[in-house]
Amino acid sequence: MTRGEWKRLATGLTFLSPWIIGFLFFMAIPICLSFYYSLTDFPLLREPVIIGLDNYAELLWRRNETGGIGDPVFYKSLWNTFFYAAMALPSGLLLSLALALVLNLGVKGQSIYRTLIFLPTLVPMVASAMVWMWMFNTRLGVINSMLRSIGIEGPGWLTETQWAMPALVFMSLWGVGHTVIIYLAGLQDVPAALYEAAEIDGAGTWARMRHVTIPCISPVIFFNLVMGIIGTLQVFAIPYIMTGGGPARATYFYTMYLYDNAFQYLKFGYASAMAWIQFLIILVLTGIAFWSSKRWVHYQGG
Amino acid sequence: MRFFRNILVWTLILSAFTLLAFGPRPQLRKGESGVVTIEYWEKWGGLEATQMQSIIDEFNQTVGKEKGIFVRYLSVSSVNQKTLVATAANVPPDVAGMWDGNIPQFSALGALAPLDELAAGYGITEEYYKPVYWKGCRYDGKLYGLVSTPAAVALHWNKIVFQEAEENLRAAGLDPDRAPRTLDELDAYAAALDLISDEGWVERAGYVPVQPGFWWTHFMPFWFGGELYDEANRKLCLDIPEAVAAYEWVRSYSVKFGVKSITEFRSSQQGAGTISTVEPFIVGTLAMEQQGPWRANYFNVLAPHLNEWKMPREEAARLPVEERRKNYAWGAAPFPSADGRELVCYAGFDVLTIPSASRHKREAFEFIAFVNRRDVMERLCSMHSKNSPLRDVTAAFIENHPNPYVQVFEDLSSSPHARGLPRVPIWAEVQAELSTIAQEIFLLKSEPEEALTRVQKRMQAKLDRFFEIDDRRRKSERAGPS
Repeated sequence: MTRGEWKRLATGLTFLSPWIIGFLFFMAIPICLSFYYSLTDFPLLREPVIIGLDNYAELLWRRNETGGIGDPVFYKSLWNTFFYAAMALPSGLLLSLALALVLNLGVKGQSIYRTLIFLPTLVPMVASAMVWMWMFNTRLGVINSMLRSIGIEGPGWLTETQWAMPALVFMSLWGVGHTVIIYLAGLQDVPAALYEAAEIDGAGTWARMRHVTIPCISPVIFFNLVMGIIGTLQVFAIPYIMTGGGPARATYFYTMYLYDNAFQYLKFGYASAMAWIQFLIILVLTGIAFWSSKRWVHYQGG
Repeated sequence: MRFFRNILVWTLILSAFTLLAFGPRPQLRKGESGVVTIEYWEKWGGLEATQMQSIIDEFNQTVGKEKGIFVRYLSVSSVNQKTLVATAANVPPDVAGMWDGNIPQFSALGALAPLDELAAGYGITEEYYKPVYWKGCRYDGKLYGLVSTPAAVALHWNKIVFQEAEENLRAAGLDPDRAPRTLDELDAYAAALDLISDEGWVERAGYVPVQPGFWWTHFMPFWFGGELYDEANRKLCLDIPEAVAAYEWVRSYSVKFGVKSITEFRSSQQGAGTISTVEPFIVGTLAMEQQGPWRANYFNVLAPHLNEWKMPREEAARLPVEERRKNYAWGAAPFPSADGRELVCYAGFDVLTIPSASRHKREAFEFIAFVNRRDVMERLCSMHSKNSPLRDVTAAFIENHPNPYVQVFEDLSSSPHARGLPRVPIWAEVQAELSTIAQEIFLLKSEPEEALTRVQKRMQAKLDRFFEIDDRRRKSERAGPS
């Protein structure tokens, strides 16, 4: 490198240094340390004691004292998280796509509807949770009142183990505004010429949607899918406020157990191991999504 | 272009230096006047914080002024977690107001300073304290905190509801003017007070064991003659027959009402937490519940009519305490035990601790000792509507206390059958497990014996593991760096 190039590099690095330093101290070093801590018993205030893969063994494969494999609460929280993701992700993607398609029809007052759909995402999470808790209330809630008016006795949405999870999934649909806006942007980017060509070829509404709209917005669907996988597998705040993981751990999610281990039980080594397992799960699922994207995601000009 | 670039670079460099030179920094603890500032973090906000602040002001103006100490109060949510992180970062508060359960958990990690010598210097010894609270402040043979405000739980009964159901109670051969005295009697009172609609919904419940929440259900074995922990042998006692009997009793109420009806009943207060104007006990849909002495203060705010049944409170304040009780639409009595022992209770407390990394332990303890002076402690406990942690209380404390039933709580917490939190270093985890199985049992999803056996095995293994690693850590710390 010439002297000038070195100088330019130094200038560039200087201007990048706030980010680089921040990344090193607040991301890279903690990430490396968390892996080290995952191999230790670390109660934060005492020296970590190296225990090898013990945390991973206890979580995943060691026979436990009740005769099962691994930590039963870990598996319960993992199952709950997958179950939630399997319900909330497709329903959220489908509902937001449907809403975006309706908004894209050019209905009168489109901007008003768009605002109304986006509005709930601006409500603070805690406020939303409190309102929904009352809406789900068995006796006084608006949902059960509506059901009662048509002769149906509603369930204990947040108090019955079989209904608490569907209730949280239902509530998650309240926040699809962001996804709708992203879909809408994608839909408005679909070239009109393609629709005209399809129409000339005799394609009906469904065929146009299947062969023009969906392929054209497939990168947007893919983006929302990846973000959805990451988001649903890290769900924490809403169930933490609304159910606290109950009743009887029916809505106890992975991140809640991780948080409890770290900050309630002061088992930072165990929690670090959980964080790494979660990272690997998300990495694998995102990897599968990327691998499959070659078959169904179409980039314009690609 | 070069000129503008230079200007930009120098502006950034100068800004950085200005920030370093004059920007925010930790406040110096020792000011020019030589006054040591004590940072005191406490969980209380609102009225309780204001009341504590008045005690602090008094300290700052008297003892603090004389000895050059100034206490600064900071309301901190999740104070235990924040103290933990601050201690790990070596910048802890000098005094941390935490919960009793934090004593074994934090002291096992070496996070708290032992206070034995300091306390003895001020005459604060075992003889000064009620045994249940003194024991709760200790771990592994050392004193790690002193009580700020304590509590004990008692059976609260709504006299208005008892009057409404007078006919039913008398028909069942029960006296509507007093609380039940045995567990069988409590069941009988509860049944006579229940009001079930034609559709099978619980309109009014005499008693529900998991009200006001699952937070105290795990102490239920105390009333059945059980203990939760054998400290000498480091063994949990979660599945002993007394515990099974306690949870069977909890379960019997779900069987009596039916899960659907009782969960529907409990949901009526959902979303409002346990402190709200729509609490079943306040609105009269729950006749009896276990609660602490703080209720008198809560009712003043949430349901003043319950504290002014016959006349305004100011007017009643002139009456002797026995007469004053009649002005309250609720009463408090010891919760009856299954085995006939009297004055069985769970007694918890808020605790003042000094983090081990505090730089002003002696000055911090000066403040803690001030709070533990009998006159100051009685004033604080009166303001917070709590009983006293001290063995001896003045007659004025009982007579002028905002809770006319404070003597009940004094008797309960002084009793040899008063029990505190078990001193288990992994209690937070044990409690979470017990709370989960209490919900399972209440929802009739698990049988008590099976659930308790499962939790006992799981938690005992975790406790054994904790001590095993702890021993290894202690040995390696003793050996020092190699």
